[in-house]
Amino acid sequence: MISLNVCLKSARLICLFLALATTPGFAVAADPPIRFGLTAVVVTENLRFLDQWSDYLAAKMDREVELVLRKSYREVMDLLNSGAVDFAWICGFPYVQKRDPETVQLLTVPVYRGAPRYHSYIIVPHNSPYKRFSDLKGKIFAFSDPDSNSGFLYPLDLMVAREERPESYFRQTFFTFNHAETVQAVSEQFADGGAVDSYIWEYLASYSPEMTEKTRIIKKSPSFGFPPIVARSGLDQVTVELMKNTLENMSRDSAGQSLLSQLKLDGFGDYSDSLFNDIRAMANRVQIDDANFQVQLAE
Amino acid sequence: MPNLNPKSWPLAIKLSLTITAVVTAVGFMIGTVMVIQDWTRAHEVLGEKALLLSESVAITAPKAIVRKDFWSLYLGLKNLRSGSNEIISAMILDAEGRVQAHTNPAKNPMGLRFSPENELEMDLYGQAMGARKPVVFSSGGFNQAGFQEGVIPIFSDQKYLGVVRVRLSVARLYEKAKTSALIVLALVLCFVIIGSALGTLVSRHMVKPLTAVTQGLEAVGRGEMTDFSPISIKGKDEIGRLSVTFNQIMVELAEKKMLEEEVAMSEKLVALGRITAGVAHEVNNPLAGLLNCIDTLRKHPNDKALFERYLPVIDQGLHRIKEIVHNLLVGLRIEEGDEMVGIDHIDKLRDLIKAEIAERDIKIVWENQADRNLSISGKLEQIVYNLLRNAVEVLTDGGVIHCRMYQKGSYLTIEVEDNGPGISAAIRNQLFDPFFTTKSNGTGLGLWVVYRLTQNLEGIIEVESEEGQGTTFHVSVPVARAKAA
Repeated sequence: MISLNVCLKSARLICLFLALATTPGFAVAADPPIRFGLTAVVVTENLRFLDQWSDYLAAKMDREVELVLRKSYREVMDLLNSGAVDFAWICGFPYVQKRDPETVQLLTVPVYRGAPRYHSYIIVPHNSPYKRFSDLKGKIFAFSDPDSNSGFLYPLDLMVAREERPESYFRQTFFTFNHAETVQAVSEQFADGGAVDSYIWEYLASYSPEMTEKTRIIKKSPSFGFPPIVARSGLDQVTVELMKNTLENMSRDSAGQSLLSQLKLDGFGDYSDSLFNDIRAMANRVQIDDANFQVQLAE
Repeated sequence: MPNLNPKSWPLAIKLSLTITAVVTAVGFMIGTVMVIQDWTRAHEVLGEKALLLSESVAITAPKAIVRKDFWSLYLGLKNLRSGSNEIISAMILDAEGRVQAHTNPAKNPMGLRFSPENELEMDLYGQAMGARKPVVFSSGGFNQAGFQEGVIPIFSDQKYLGVVRVRLSVARLYEKAKTSALIVLALVLCFVIIGSALGTLVSRHMVKPLTAVTQGLEAVGRGEMTDFSPISIKGKDEIGRLSVTFNQIMVELAEKKMLEEEVAMSEKLVALGRITAGVAHEVNNPLAGLLNCIDTLRKHPNDKALFERYLPVIDQGLHRIKEIVHNLLVGLRIEEGDEMVGIDHIDKLRDLIKAEIAERDIKIVWENQADRNLSISGKLEQIVYNLLRNAVEVLTDGGVIHCRMYQKGSYLTIEVEDNGPGISAAIRNQLFDPFFTTKSNGTGLGLWVVYRLTQNLEGIIEVESEEGQGTTFHVSVPVARAKAA
């Protein structure tokens, strides 16, 4: 009887120790979590995938990783500027916008179908008579995000090239803040046309073809630099390097490959800032009106 | 062939039909009321639901309308639709009637004025744009294509921004109402079947004693009372009491009838006895004399004077017996044969009776006013002859006999009047009895035969008499009968 009691007591002690040791807060109390800002990744808030990804990154970096979701690129940019997030997956357009002082640094660029590049598609309902971008004059047009290159900057540039402004060129415009919803708006004929990310359109074409089948691409932009991952300026270089390496090495292990295949990406690569020169040039062309125009459309 | 006139249907059928009709009518009425109430309430609930859905859109709409966030408005409507498959259409219009969002964007492009499809829609559109308070539009009527539409005007800081319209289909309600109507119909049919079966049973049970009473009374009408079986008595209500009384009456009637039959039988036996006694007496009297005469003649076979004296007596006695037997045969066999003769045959009786009067001083006055072509029964001739002979027999010298014949209505009346001694009141009742006579040598069968023949001809015989003044016999027989060819 006595020996059993002793055994039970020691077992309790071991349990208590184990519980303390395995509590994450207890283990990483020294380092605050890494915060990673995102808009909807690919389609919608696919939370299960985000959990898997954050778990993967946390395991690789031995740091807690918290994914922070926001509706628009602008909100994510605000988080970056204020230091509320350390990293973010943003679009090429906000990346090239001039900031003084610069608050972001290029970390890594996703590789899609062998290159860090993608396009903007101008789409219309599949049964519509529109064949060219100019056919959409006087019609309803859906933009994705006012800070999106493919979903806003590129069609804006097309109008600037025609010396037109969106509010006069189209009868109505609106933002969906989500490329997938732009495809939905066009497929349901709520909009007569829309501008979307080629990566998202192709992603949808393979996962929910019933939606993309109701749309038709009438214009494909030249290739642009793929929406990059950025780090906030001032973040310690160790963390920056750790994140860069972790992401760029994702394609080298099966767990990472599985996550990449879910994203339909080949991997992440180290590319120079010049990749975004085309976008930067477009941003410069439309820059004059930009500040006013965005307020006008978005508010 | 079934009787088509409801008035002559049996009470049991009429009662059960009435019960069935009442059950059916009540069932259908209650069923219809239930279905209509159900439909009305569900309709109202649907209207409230439409308002609620409209309101849910209207709450968030002002911000989106001001910001021109058409996509949010559209997604709001889309979400409504995914939440309720009853939605036919939903739309948000601005103050000028321009589409801000519509569940069917292909037909209702955003930013353009909403264009109603037809006059009804035009009217509803006008009403919706004029609405400044939540209102429900109802298509009304009971059909699958109906709808309930919730209309909510949108205000922001008391500024009118536009209107939300959410239209719900009544198709599901309609299907439900149809199903419940079918269930009610089935229930009513069940009720009708059960009700009419019960009604038939109950009414049969109730009417059964009445049917028995009716059948019993019909049997009484036909004169059949012997095979009467009493009605079983159930309950002490009116029908029960009727049954008891009826049973009593039937028993009494049957007893009375039996009694009457017994009396008639004994009367027959009495009459038969009287006739037999009369025959025995009347025949026996001369027979005794005749046998005496024959005995005396046998003892003195050579006494010629005795033969001379007795043979007429024997002859007279045998003739009397013959007459009695003849009259009995006439009186008893009247049913046999009835040959028709002309009325002039009666006139011939005048001569016949004159011959009987022979030398006596009796006058006959003869008046025949009847139709000359009339045919009469031979029995009437016998009646008149008997009456005339009777008169002749009672009259003494200086007597007068009046014989009158005339038609009155459908009757031929014959009157035979004499001024003889008349009939005393004491014997008037026995006047027509067989073998009753006041005459010393009468057989007492003449008037009995008259009575029997008159009865047979369905005629009436009356006697008027006053002692010392004379007697009149009136005999009336139907002419139709006398005339029959």
